[in-house]
Amino acid sequence: MKRSARMASPDFFEIRDLHMRFAGVQALQGVSISVAKNELLAVIGPNGAGKTTIFNIINGVYHPYKGKILLEGKDITCLKPYKIARAGIARVFQNIELFKNMTVIDNLLLGRHQFLKSSFLSGSFFLGKCLREEMDNRRKVEEVIEFLEIEEVRKQLVKSLPFGLQKRVELGRALCMDPSILLLDEPVAGMNLEEKEDIARFILDIKEEMETTIIMIEHDMEVVMDIADRICVIDFGVKIVEGSPEVVQNHPKVIEAYLGLED
Amino acid sequence: MSADTLPKLLLEKVRYYKKEVALREKQLGVWRPITWNEYYDHVETFGLGCRDLGLKPQEKVSILGDNCPEWLYADLATQSLRAVAVGVYPTNTTEQVKYILEHSGSKYVVVKDQEQLDKVLEVNAELPLLERIIVIDMKGVRKYTYPLIISYEEVEEVGRRIRQKDPDLFTGIIAETEASDIAIIVYTSGTTGPPKGAMLSHRNITAVQHGFLQVLPITREDSLVSALPLCHVAERMFSLFLPMKVGCTINFAESVATMQADMIEISPSIFLTVPRMLEKMHSTITIKIQNANPIKRCAYNLCMPIGGKVADIRLSGGKVGLLYHTLFMIAYFLVFRPLRNRIGLLQVRECVSGAAPLSKDIMRFFRSLGIRIKEAYGCTESTGVISMPEGEGLKLGSVGKPVPGIEFRLEDDGEILIKGGLVFEGYHNDPEGSNRVLKDGWLYTGDVGKLDEDGDLFIVDRKKEIIINAAGKNIAPSEIENRLKFSTFINEAIVIGEGRKYLTALIQVDYENVANWAQKEDIPFTNYKSLVGNSKVRRLIDREITEANKNLARVETIKKFALLDKELDQDDGEVTATMKVKRQIIEKKYGDIIEPMY
Repeated sequence: MKRSARMASPDFFEIRDLHMRFAGVQALQGVSISVAKNELLAVIGPNGAGKTTIFNIINGVYHPYKGKILLEGKDITCLKPYKIARAGIARVFQNIELFKNMTVIDNLLLGRHQFLKSSFLSGSFFLGKCLREEMDNRRKVEEVIEFLEIEEVRKQLVKSLPFGLQKRVELGRALCMDPSILLLDEPVAGMNLEEKEDIARFILDIKEEMETTIIMIEHDMEVVMDIADRICVIDFGVKIVEGSPEVVQNHPKVIEAYLGLED
Repeated sequence: MSADTLPKLLLEKVRYYKKEVALREKQLGVWRPITWNEYYDHVETFGLGCRDLGLKPQEKVSILGDNCPEWLYADLATQSLRAVAVGVYPTNTTEQVKYILEHSGSKYVVVKDQEQLDKVLEVNAELPLLERIIVIDMKGVRKYTYPLIISYEEVEEVGRRIRQKDPDLFTGIIAETEASDIAIIVYTSGTTGPPKGAMLSHRNITAVQHGFLQVLPITREDSLVSALPLCHVAERMFSLFLPMKVGCTINFAESVATMQADMIEISPSIFLTVPRMLEKMHSTITIKIQNANPIKRCAYNLCMPIGGKVADIRLSGGKVGLLYHTLFMIAYFLVFRPLRNRIGLLQVRECVSGAAPLSKDIMRFFRSLGIRIKEAYGCTESTGVISMPEGEGLKLGSVGKPVPGIEFRLEDDGEILIKGGLVFEGYHNDPEGSNRVLKDGWLYTGDVGKLDEDGDLFIVDRKKEIIINAAGKNIAPSEIENRLKFSTFINEAIVIGEGRKYLTALIQVDYENVANWAQKEDIPFTNYKSLVGNSKVRRLIDREITEANKNLARVETIKKFALLDKELDQDDGEVTATMKVKRQIIEKKYGDIIEPMY
């Protein structure tokens, strides 16, 4: 399969000189990353390198003591998490964060929560605008169900699904938010080969069909090398290399970070 | 002029039924009706589009993908242009797809989605005749840059523009189709060699419509579900030939995985199925009942013997007395009705099983629930059907009388021979193969059968598969295999015994059911191989085989067996796309576990 042209406008989303400290531990030391529209950027690095910290800052969970997050030139650093979600940034977590006792449809509808506009009163009587809104949201949810091929389980409780499918549902919930940027935190961790292949295909399809920009943290090098347009390597809170999969794969600093330095 | 081709029949139906529902498709979780007008509209625009691309009469168009309305549109559009439609199994491997595209000399191939497209692209360089790949679902392939690819939607768009200029063009094209045109090529599953392409003409199709509907009347009000692969002649008959004749409604499930759930919503009145599907339903019911609460289990155990008794009376042609009639009604409302609802067969009026022999036990089980299962017999070369039981009267194990319009006789060795309008036109590009099965207008089916005093046909087995043991006795393996497969723990059984002193069997266990059983018994296992390696599992299967042996003649009993340590797979060439076992290949491949049994 051919990969689409990389790098349209380089400053669609930008992380500028990010610094973060936890009680004396310097988690991030001036990390800058820029992502083009409809690009798939993979962030890799050893455990504790600061990858998830970057996601948490993007989401507004942590506040950096220095640095900025810019979405289409607009500063979104330190906004409340729900405002960042409304700005079009959705996230799939490393550990499954679904409502296990709710059905797949209900979990996905939750992804549409930020689009609910009708008042308490019209909601109580399920009239007019509220009814239309419900139908629109349900349609969107069904589109995502079709896209991720989970028709079979749409009415099942999430807790009854195998791990791979739960991950897919979580991805679906993020897609229901119509995100312009999708943050994926280890999307294939703990999956078997077949599940990995499925998710990798879905990620590529999301990028192509929905024209979503994707930032992905992942340890599985095979998946990363296969689907990422560009890779950014973080180690000890510092960006050490950035470039195409081919460049990163053979970079001495990357090999050093992963395998350690020979004495 | 009477409508003697499928496209002409389509025109006729459109004139009668216009805005009535022809097809139903589940999309985004909602059933969407497609009217006859819309049906024709799609066939017309796709047909005109293909014509504009350069499709000429007699050229071949392959269709590769799961069942969907577009499958039928492409099929009928191709036939309207007097070109030939070739169905390919969506489960086929890349190599098998290549074989059919190459052998049929397909000029276009219509693929359902990315998965199927990738198969074609992999071998595209070796297919010089292939000019276009038409993709129905463009998800994930919009950025592919291969020049051959065109979307289904684009072809229809071209067709729409042409229609705008000349609205009557397509009806004129359809009028030119003739009964002698080859309409479709159906590739046989090929248990012994590579698949052979059986050419079926409109004349064959008309004959089969005529013969079939006299035995099993279907009306406009009936609703069917398209569940088996459309490239198989039986599903083509139920999803295309018969609806074109009577105007019944065809339903398409959302996906293969949701078939069971969608069946409940459709609740078809006519259901075409295969033994494998019925075996699966039977084992699902049995397992679910075992895990049900004691009240349900008790009700089931009380009611099943009543159903069985009534089924036996009916099958032997007797009249059900008042007592059993009343008991059956109680059992029906208590157990059978809810059970039938759960498997989507609540409203089923006629259920036809074909493609492989059905075990008597399975037949009796479903008859106990009050489902009128009939076993039909036919082959691709007979356009799908040769014989089928008529009305209520049915003998256990019989496939009824030959359908009207067939001349029928048995050769001295019992081989079934037929003659008539539904005998196919020969194999594509294989005159030698055609001559082997077609002699003086008689089709040599390769199946051995016998007739009873009433003229009802009983199928013994495939001629090639009959086992002659060391004592010279003829044994039909398929019946024994069906007995074994009735066990919920046995998925596939292959009986061995050619030239040997006694019979043995290779057994593939039902992974799901045996795994469930093993969990209850606290047997540790990691995968299929480790499961069948366990001695307790072996003992379980031993018990099941002993049970099956009780109902078999001494010479037919299984003396020893071996468990296969992997599931048979189409990709490994062990079974065909229709899951028929390739006996010779398996006997060769598993020689090292067969020999120690002797």
